[in-house]
Amino acid sequence: MSSETVLELRGLEKSFGAARIIRGVDLSVRRGERHAVIGPNGAGKSTLFNLVSGLFAPNAGSILLDGREIAGRSAHRINRMGLSRSFQITNIYHRMTVFENLRIGTMARHGIRFSLLRPVSSLTRINSETDALLERIRLTGRRDVPAGELTYSEQRALEIGMTLATGPEVILLDEPTAGMSKDETAYVIDLIREVTVDKTLLVVEHDMSVVFGLCDRISVLVYGDLLATGTPDEIRNNAAVQEAYLGEEAASS
Amino acid sequence: MLEFILVSTLNGVVYGLLLFMVSAGLTLIFGMMGVLNFAHASFYMLGAYIAYTVTRHIDFWVGLLVAPVLVAMIGVLVERYLLRRVHSHGHAHELLLTFGLAFIFEELVKLFYGDFPVNYAMPDHLRFAAFTIFDADYPFYRVFIGLVAIAMFVALYLLLSRTRVGLVVRAAERLPVMAEALSHNVPLVFMGVFGVGAGLAGLAGAVAGAFFPTNPNMALELGIIVFVVVVVGGLGSLAGSLVASLMIGVFSSFAVGLDWSLAGLLSYVGLGEWARAVGGLFTLTLSSISGTVPYLLMLIVLLVRPAGLMGERN
Amino acid sequence: MTLVWRFLPLTLVMVVLIGLPPLLDVGLQNVMVNVLIAALFATAFNLLIGQGGMLSFGHAAFYGVGAFAVMHLLVAIERGGLDFPTPLLPLAGAVAGMVVGLFTGYFATIRSGVYFALVTLALAEMLHALAPHWEGLFGGEAGISSMRMPWGGINFGQVIEVYYLTLAWVVIAFGLLYAYTRTPMGRLTLALRDNEERLRFMGYNVHATKVVVFTLSATFAGLAGGLLAFSNEQANYQLFEVHISAQVLLHTFVGGSTVFFGPAIGAVIFTIFAHVIGDITRSWMLYQGVIFILVVLFVPHGIGGVLTEHLRLRTHIPWRRIGRPYAIAATAALLITAASVMIIEFLEALFSPRYFAARRQVDMGFPPFERFGYVWEPFSVLTWLLPLVLGIVGLFLLLRVRHQVAELWSEARESAAAQGRPAP
Repeated sequence: MSSETVLELRGLEKSFGAARIIRGVDLSVRRGERHAVIGPNGAGKSTLFNLVSGLFAPNAGSILLDGREIAGRSAHRINRMGLSRSFQITNIYHRMTVFENLRIGTMARHGIRFSLLRPVSSLTRINSETDALLERIRLTGRRDVPAGELTYSEQRALEIGMTLATGPEVILLDEPTAGMSKDETAYVIDLIREVTVDKTLLVVEHDMSVVFGLCDRISVLVYGDLLATGTPDEIRNNAAVQEAYLGEEAASS
Repeated sequence: MLEFILVSTLNGVVYGLLLFMVSAGLTLIFGMMGVLNFAHASFYMLGAYIAYTVTRHIDFWVGLLVAPVLVAMIGVLVERYLLRRVHSHGHAHELLLTFGLAFIFEELVKLFYGDFPVNYAMPDHLRFAAFTIFDADYPFYRVFIGLVAIAMFVALYLLLSRTRVGLVVRAAERLPVMAEALSHNVPLVFMGVFGVGAGLAGLAGAVAGAFFPTNPNMALELGIIVFVVVVVGGLGSLAGSLVASLMIGVFSSFAVGLDWSLAGLLSYVGLGEWARAVGGLFTLTLSSISGTVPYLLMLIVLLVRPAGLMGERN
Repeated sequence: MTLVWRFLPLTLVMVVLIGLPPLLDVGLQNVMVNVLIAALFATAFNLLIGQGGMLSFGHAAFYGVGAFAVMHLLVAIERGGLDFPTPLLPLAGAVAGMVVGLFTGYFATIRSGVYFALVTLALAEMLHALAPHWEGLFGGEAGISSMRMPWGGINFGQVIEVYYLTLAWVVIAFGLLYAYTRTPMGRLTLALRDNEERLRFMGYNVHATKVVVFTLSATFAGLAGGLLAFSNEQANYQLFEVHISAQVLLHTFVGGSTVFFGPAIGAVIFTIFAHVIGDITRSWMLYQGVIFILVVLFVPHGIGGVLTEHLRLRTHIPWRRIGRPYAIAATAALLITAASVMIIEFLEALFSPRYFAARRQVDMGFPPFERFGYVWEPFSVLTWLLPLVLGIVGLFLLLRVRHQVAELWSEARESAAAQGRPAP
């Protein structure tokens, strides 16, 4: 595997009881690229994310992060190895402030785990890095607001911020623009573009304009099978993809 | 020896069936509503006390009829006006509420009936021997308890599996939102299940209270064992409850009469004297720690297989 | 908030705690000791539930273990000639709590939610069932008793001496517990409560984190138990009873689990309440239970929560306008309380063994009974009409004023939110 490939899925299989959700997926994500995973609902995109991020183990196949096997490893271990994910349904610390939400991640990045001997206010580097991140996701004005009181799109921005806070190389974003208006979507995509400049991004999305505008390569997942992988143009012109998926989209757009 | 085995088994089965009567309601309620009702054994206690009061003023059999009905009504009120209120705050609040209720029920009973056991006894016409085992009479009333429990199980089983109401209840347990979408009144079903569950516990109390001591502590004593039964059997599984109840009933019955200890075991390999000299854990007899074993069992189940014997993986 | 205002309540409390007890009689001094212990126990408990989000129904286990550890040391000093500084004895409770907490916490935290609660319950019940039969470790049914030995010139025979030692330990413990909330680990604990799944995906070993929180909570609970044993000079298996776990739960939630000093407030109120009311009426536990249920139903954040809400929104609450509704609500609450207390006390009197004996003397009639310094006729309409009227009036007032108060509060909240919004 070349150093160009930062995340590789080989022969990945996952079944829940009798239902085969992921049926032998092979996928290579190149370092530094922005890679979208699209497909109809129920195709298994979230399951794919859950497998890669360590929520559960695959029934077969392997997942290689920087050449190291992560399939079946625990979620926290995978995160420490440099892969971080966001959630489709906002998953924040709703009673803690926005700043604190991010700081948990910054602390994690610096390996602060069972630190009992100093006040957290004395960790100046961590606090200033957290403020910097807060600035990048443009929530400085909401620094001390309990996260549960933010608006929906603010929470989505925080969600992305928390994903970034742990300092990952590979970022998985699960439908970051779900439920957003056109303006909110543009704002979030702008944000994503900025913060993933020198990172590898794997994003699940439904909004085609987002996908085609933001991403270098696209993979199409249909009923647990990877139909095709390629540049936006290649995918747009792929007959099988058009038939299975884009045809409906093109007809409805 | 044989006498001991026979009597212990009989007693154990009866006790187990009694446990089942009380835990059936709890497991149904938990399976359907996800609420672990700490006050469930209080319904058992209330049943006993109400039956006692009715027996004193009217008749034993009327008491057996009235107690479950009244307790069921109390259960419905609790669900409708108390539980439903805290449902939105989450499971922790529900637990706290039922915990507080158990507290209050115990104190109310003490208020009206005093701190000491009351003389709730079986009527004279039931005070005979069912049969004799090795010269000892086996009281009919114990058998009576078992019969009531079996009748209850059969009735519940038929109700749930053969009637429309049962079908709706089972549907509401699996997918409450779907059941509601099909225009079944799910809140009403919840209320009904809670009431029936409470009523069953009340019936158990009314029946058992005449044989076992009726005191304000009976809810606490039985309550935690009932939790053990429900967890070991599998939260939400009636059959599992039955199996677990019988297991624990028979075990408790046997253990109380056995003086086995680790020291005794070790004496088979000649280390008896040493073990007895060491004392402590080695000389604890099974009869004295028999109370611990159900909790140990629950602990093991919770840690290894929380779904219990027959519950569903949650 | 200016520095003076922030530290004023705490300073006042410390002044009272240090200066008041020498002026009290021995019985009250003892109550103060129990108040301190209860406050510590509740705050230790809250580390687990209020901060860590893990509800335990068996915290009595660590409380009891701590007590027994100190008892064994006391016995060793008294009869075995062990040379150990008496003032350091409660530390044994903390260590015992830590060890048992670490072991049990490792297993208990494998599960969460209801299952976790049941595991903790099972552990405490196991100890409760085992202890009366284990002579060596728990003294069997009678328990273990001993005596405090003098050390360093202090006799430790008087309650006031025990009090000041307890105060010292409790202050240290509170200091540590508060400092904990300021450490990175303290912040992690809150994240654990809010969203343990997210914590996992941010690189933290959630199980290990939970074990640390659990162990710390058990350590301070053990310290509280150790202080109890130090004060009572005895411990028995009843310390493992579910009633003990229930008490600390009551204190914590009535006081308010969302605020650091909430549980302590609850513990103080209930301990003093139990002492004062416990002498007057036999139904004091019923009152505690009713208060608890009312709090769970209507004031989920407890007294501490209510206080902090008022503090947080103090600049937005329309104090002038809310004064009158609050006064009416307070009056209503008083009326309802009076009515309920009257009814409960009347019932208690009528169903008491003493009344039954009195009935015997009048051929099973219904003689009048005495309560609150008055004599009441059980079948007189007046007897029951009085509390009924009080109660109904109180309820009526409460229902009327409820909407007013709710409106004023949403006004306050809106005003606060408007202030928090960033400038357009």
